[in-house]
Amino acid sequence: MIQLTQETKSGWWVVGVQGRADAEAADELEGALRAALEAHPKVAADLAKLDYISSAGLRAVIQAARAAQARNAEFAVCSLSAPVKKVFDMSGMHHILRIHGELPC
Amino acid sequence: MWHNQAILTEAELVLHGDLGELQCLVAEITRFCRENALGDEVEFELNLVLEELFTNSVRHGGCAGMKNAVRVRLAKHTDGVHVEYFDHGAAFDPLTAPLPAIDRPIEERQVGGLGIHLVRQIMQDLEYHREGEWNRITMRRPG
Repeated sequence: MIQLTQETKSGWWVVGVQGRADAEAADELEGALRAALEAHPKVAADLAKLDYISSAGLRAVIQAARAAQARNAEFAVCSLSAPVKKVFDMSGMHHILRIHGELPC
Repeated sequence: MWHNQAILTEAELVLHGDLGELQCLVAEITRFCRENALGDEVEFELNLVLEELFTNSVRHGGCAGMKNAVRVRLAKHTDGVHVEYFDHGAAFDPLTAPLPAIDRPIEERQVGGLGIHLVRQIMQDLEYHREGEWNRITMRRPG
C-alpha cells in the first residue's frame, strides 16, 4: 500500500511516496506521477518515506519518465533510502533518470 | 549440497493465484525473518524475490485464478536462507529468459524481464526443475 502527498517547493511539484511500491500499488503510483506531469512542467518524486519497491514500482517510475520525455517536462527522483537505492542501482535506473540525493529544489 | 546442514527454522506457505495474496506473502516473510533474527536487508530482498516470482506466475505463468497455485518454503541455514518456490503453471524456466539491457537509454529500454533480473542479482545457486506439473526453483540468499 502507498500513500501519496503533493506539494510545491521552489517551482517543483513534489509527489511524496510513502509505503510499499509493489505489484498492487504500481498502477496508483504511475497514475499519480502521470497526472502530476500532465499538470506541471517540473515534477519530483520524493521517495524518502518509501520502504519497499519491486520491479512493478520501478516500471511505474520508468513509464513516468517516458511520459515526462514525451511532454518535454522535467522529472526527478530524490531522497532514496539505502535499500530502495540498491534496487534502483541493480536495475540501471541511473541510465534513464535524474536521481538526486535530496530534493532538487 | 544443502542437505548435510542443520536446518534451523523453516516456514512454508501456500498461495492462490491472486495478487491479493501478496499481503500473506509479506506477512509470512516478516514473521520468518523476525523469528530468525534476520535483518531488514534480508527481509527486503526475500520480499522482492518472492514478489517477482509470484507476480510472474500469476500474470504470465497461467496461475491466475488457480487454487493453491504456489508453494513457498523458506529455511534458515548457516550459509543463508534457502528458498524453494513451486508453481503449478505452464512450464517456464526463468533462468533461461533473456535479460533486459539495463544500460540502455529510456527510448530503447524494455520494461519486461526486470523482475527476473533482480532475482538473479540477489540470489545464488539458482536451479530450475520441472517436476510433474510443477515448476520448482531452488535458490539461496547468502548471509
